[in-house]
Amino acid sequence: VKITQRDLEQDGFSKNPFFQAIIAEVPEQHRSKEGHCKVGYALYFFAYSSWKGRSVYMEDLYVMSEYRGKGIGKALMSKIAQLGLAAGCKQLNFAVPNWNKPSVDFSLRQGCWNVTSDLGYHCMRCEGPALESLARGEAKH
Amino acid sequence: MPDGMKISHEELERDGFSQNPFFHCLVAEVPPQHRTKEGYTLVGYALYFYTYSTWEGRSLYMEDFYVMPEFRGKGIGKALISNVARIGKEHQCVRLNFSVLSWNTPAINFYLNKGAQDLTTSDGWHCFRFDREALDKLAEEAVKQ
Repeated sequence: VKITQRDLEQDGFSKNPFFQAIIAEVPEQHRSKEGHCKVGYALYFFAYSSWKGRSVYMEDLYVMSEYRGKGIGKALMSKIAQLGLAAGCKQLNFAVPNWNKPSVDFSLRQGCWNVTSDLGYHCMRCEGPALESLARGEAKH
Repeated sequence: MPDGMKISHEELERDGFSQNPFFHCLVAEVPPQHRTKEGYTLVGYALYFYTYSTWEGRSLYMEDFYVMPEFRGKGIGKALISNVARIGKEHQCVRLNFSVLSWNTPAINFYLNKGAQDLTTSDGWHCFRFDREALDKLAEEAVKQ
């Protein structure tokens, strides 16, 4: 992880936040061995499609391993869907590595489809020195 | 291109030009003497918005990137994407993400030449989507909780 708690506070809780998050909490009597009641979270932000309009992107979805299989992940995802629809979104997008079979199966069970497999979309990224070069208007040699 | 446009220009105006816009857009314009047969001087655009990574922080997603075919190969595309990267840098963004169709070899080569990585090929990342109907159904589950 390259960012600090301070970055997260500044970027998530200012006037125009870069992201929003929801947390899954269990009652005291079900707290984890270490005493945690917060056992899962989902981080999302609003995105856009020039074809379909507003959409929501789920960047992170996590439930502590000992709390999986209880519907918490699904509840988090459903809540994001609800929040997204309330904000006028028409789509919910997210990414999963295709080798993570439990996550892929979980996702497909909820009713979504695989844009990469079905349409051939590849996720591309520019970062580090390549991004610096691009920003300066240089080509990579 | 998949599907058809499902939003109106009023929706684009509302979502792109309000106080907290959902997206930003850069356009490429040529001087009047180079306008197209139909009289257009706007010959390309890039649509992007801010995103986030809990690992790396602020990022950008470039949703659309287009140059009219007759104006390609002149550095317009490169100028557009460089400006998106520059704007991202000014806002402390550390990543520029986007997608490209696997069969679009010219586009893939364009991006790879600029140092982009293909995360689907290298790390197996797949994009998943809930469309409207499936999204409604998923949201209904939240109301029941």
